[in-house]
Order: sequence, then C-alpha cells, then structure tokens
Amino acid sequence: MKNKLALLALSAQKINRQHVQLVFVLISLALLLLGTGAPLAEGGVGR
Amino acid sequence: MILLSALVAGLLTGLVWARWSGNPYQTPELRHFWLVFVAFLPQLIVVYLPITRENFPNWLVAACLLASQIMLFGFAWFNRRISGMPILICGIALNLAVMMANSGFMPISPQTASRLIPEERLLDIQPGSRLGPKDILLHPQDTRFEWLADRFLPPSWFPYQVAFSLGDVLIAIGAFWMLAKPGSPIQFTNRGTQT
Repeated sequence: MKNKLALLALSAQKINRQHVQLVFVLISLALLLLGTGAPLAEGGVGR
Repeated sequence: MILLSALVAGLLTGLVWARWSGNPYQTPELRHFWLVFVAFLPQLIVVYLPITRENFPNWLVAACLLASQIMLFGFAWFNRRISGMPILICGIALNLAVMMANSGFMPISPQTASRLIPEERLLDIQPGSRLGPKDILLHPQDTRFEWLADRFLPPSWFPYQVAFSLGDVLIAIGAFWMLAKPGSPIQFTNRGTQT
C-alpha cells in the first residue's frame, strides 16, 4: 500500500512537471507570436 | 488571434498525429523561458494594457516595440535548433526589418486598411498616423520594403478580416510546425507517465 502510494505520488509529480512544462511552452510561444507578429484585424483598430 | 490559431492548430495536429501513429507526444524543449517574459513586458505596457498604453508618445512606443522584438529574436535564436524555429526566425527578421525601416511600426496602405475600417473613418486618419497596436498608415510609395508590410488579406467572403505580412505567415508556419512535429525527448504514454 505504501509502495503504491509512493508510486502514485511519483506519477503525479511527473505528470505535473510535464504538464507545467507544456503550459510554459504554450505561454512562451503565445507571447513570442504576439510580440513578433504584427497582423491588423478588424477589431484591432480601436485606438 | 490569427497567429494564436496557428499555435492551437499545431498543437492539435501534433496530438492527433501522435495518437494516430501510436507514439507519445513530444513537447518542444524551449530554453531561456525567462527571456520571452522579460522581452514581452515592454510591449505589454506600451501596446496591450489599456490602462497604460495611452500614456506613451509614439517614439517611445516604437522604441519599446523594437527593443522587445530584438529580445524576442534573441529568445528564438537561442532555441534555433528546435524544429520550426528557423522558419519562425525568418518571419521575425522580416517583420523586424520592415518595422525598423518605417519608424518602428508595421506599415499598412490605405487601400489595405479600407477592408478593415469603414471608409468614412479612414478618411479622418492621416497618412503617418498609428493604426491599431503596431501599424502605421502609409502610402505604398512612402513605405520602405513595401512587400514586407501588412499587405495580404483573406478573401472578402471570409468572416474574419485581417491584414498580415509575409513575416506573419512565416511566424505562423514556424509555430505550427514546432508544435505539430516537435522533437524533444519528453514523452507521454497512455497512462500519462513519463517513459
């Protein structure tokens, strides 16, 4: 039981790390795209 | 929005492809995350945040935009070995070149802008004025590197009208490619554990 719990905790830790990494990659790429791209959309001409 | 949709499409394609081929999905291994956050900060303040963006003169906005884009170029360069990033770097370089050559903003011609703004409103905007967050209204004859400007439009029947540049196209392709066909060693199995 203890071993299973430890295994579960380890798996959860790995899943979290992977998911966190994927989220970081997506946020970084989103910022990179927003920062370097310069399209002008219909709704974007509000200023 | 159009660039972010390339990101989503790339991720979905990558996930579907991984599932279809029976291989685990591999997240691209980006390095120097901190740089992208630091680089985006000036743009966030002078271009995107409604509370702060009205308080800056155009020259300062242009300087912040260029500084931010140069740092973002650096981030992309540090990660140049990731698949898709070389295409994205080319796109960044093209956008950076045309913006540097045109007072720090992306030029758009009145003809192209007329598809995005009502005619009567466009008549009130003088050439050389800012338009949207990063664009500047310029006649083609007054634009340097006009072929790199926001000059492409979707078909008129398309519900979402947007003007984009050659650099934007390459940036979108690069981002799509990066997520659709990544190559880092992080792996997800069916049980969600790392192998």
